[in-house]
Amino acid sequence: MQILLDFLRRYNYLFLFILLEGISLTLLFQFNNYQGSVWNTAANESAAKANETYASLEAYFKLGDINALLTTENTKLQQENAVLRAALDSATHDTTFTERKVRQELAGFQLLPARVVSNGVRRGHDGYLVINRGRKDGVRPEMGVVGGGGVIGIVYLVGENYALIIPVTHTKSSISCRVRGKNYFGYLQWDGGSTRMAQLDDVPRYAKTRAGNVIETSGYSSVFPPGIFVGRVHKVSNSSDGQSYRLDIVLGTDFANLRDVNVVVTPYKAEIRQLQEKADSLQ
Amino acid sequence: MFNVILPRILWILGLILAQTLVFNHIHLIGYATPMPYVYALIMLPHGTSRWIYVVLGFALGLVVDTLSNTVGAAAGALTLVGLVTPLLLRAFAPDDKLEEEFTPSIRTMQWSGFLKFAIAVTFIHTMVFFLLETFSLFDPLRLLIEVVSSTALTVIFMATFEKLRNTSRSA
Repeated sequence: MQILLDFLRRYNYLFLFILLEGISLTLLFQFNNYQGSVWNTAANESAAKANETYASLEAYFKLGDINALLTTENTKLQQENAVLRAALDSATHDTTFTERKVRQELAGFQLLPARVVSNGVRRGHDGYLVINRGRKDGVRPEMGVVGGGGVIGIVYLVGENYALIIPVTHTKSSISCRVRGKNYFGYLQWDGGSTRMAQLDDVPRYAKTRAGNVIETSGYSSVFPPGIFVGRVHKVSNSSDGQSYRLDIVLGTDFANLRDVNVVVTPYKAEIRQLQEKADSLQ
Repeated sequence: MFNVILPRILWILGLILAQTLVFNHIHLIGYATPMPYVYALIMLPHGTSRWIYVVLGFALGLVVDTLSNTVGAAAGALTLVGLVTPLLLRAFAPDDKLEEEFTPSIRTMQWSGFLKFAIAVTFIHTMVFFLLETFSLFDPLRLLIEVVSSTALTVIFMATFEKLRNTSRSA
């Protein structure tokens, strides 16, 4: 304490000098516009500089938080991206020729996109498909279901939100088909063998079909519009009664890999049936 | 004591009057303005408390500022000069005089010692004064010319005072 007091006493003139010099400069800046403005500008500038330095320093230390935030956001965006990509995939699934052809044929029909949620199709077994569209979405029994590879099956039972489909690879399934360009038609059956193959029975013997010919829907059943791709002829053989041909068909649809399908909504089905009945009664 | 202080007070008042009435209006070749009021600090005797130098410098500067409308510039400059004058006096005074109390003059310090002392003090004052007044280094050459010429003119006036004072005293 004594030392401090001594120090203060000894250098009193120094403190006095600082005080008086401070007063002088205050007066200078206070009463002279030019000096005052220069001083204020310089002071503002240095204050701004200090603030800027502080701000950048603060920003630097905040980088950790920002990084965590960015990671979270990135994850969120990736999830969103995945969802959008899936949506885009289902929206622009149309890539193969068959699919384009199918779409062309179905151009006038209303298609209801659906997803297979349960797939019971397998070799030697009468399996069913379940799709995630039901009565609520306008699905009704006996509507056709098509996919990228062509015909898939027919709606059998309809729930509120889901629908059961009898696929082509079901022994009860019977779809009216024809050989493209020849108009000879028969019914597509499945013998319970491979899920990649089905059989077309009752093809007249005079119908000149060869392996490789395209089989498509005939349109006679009112379930499917005509011309939807079903498969290609693999082998031509005699039917069991020997009166007609039996065609082994390689199906266009791979039931082992089935996800996105379309239900062919045919609102005029009742009308068509009515007309058919009327025609029947006329004969 | 009174005999010593009264002439000094009179000298200081005279310097202030001369500054405001005469010297402020001199701008030799547009640059040089004499500011011999620094003389009031120079003639303080060796051994004077340093706070007196500082306070006197500030007060004198304040008065000159008020009368010549340069608020703060002379006060700031003279306060600094008050701080360094004792040091300069110690540096330029002859060694044999430092032990005792003496008044800086051509008689005690010789012309060479006194002039060196006066030039150093005056130079510091004019430099700080002009720096505070222009408050920019926009035209450093002009500033230097002003400082040097004003210093020279001030020293000439102070030497004249010194000569007058000593001749009047000896006469």
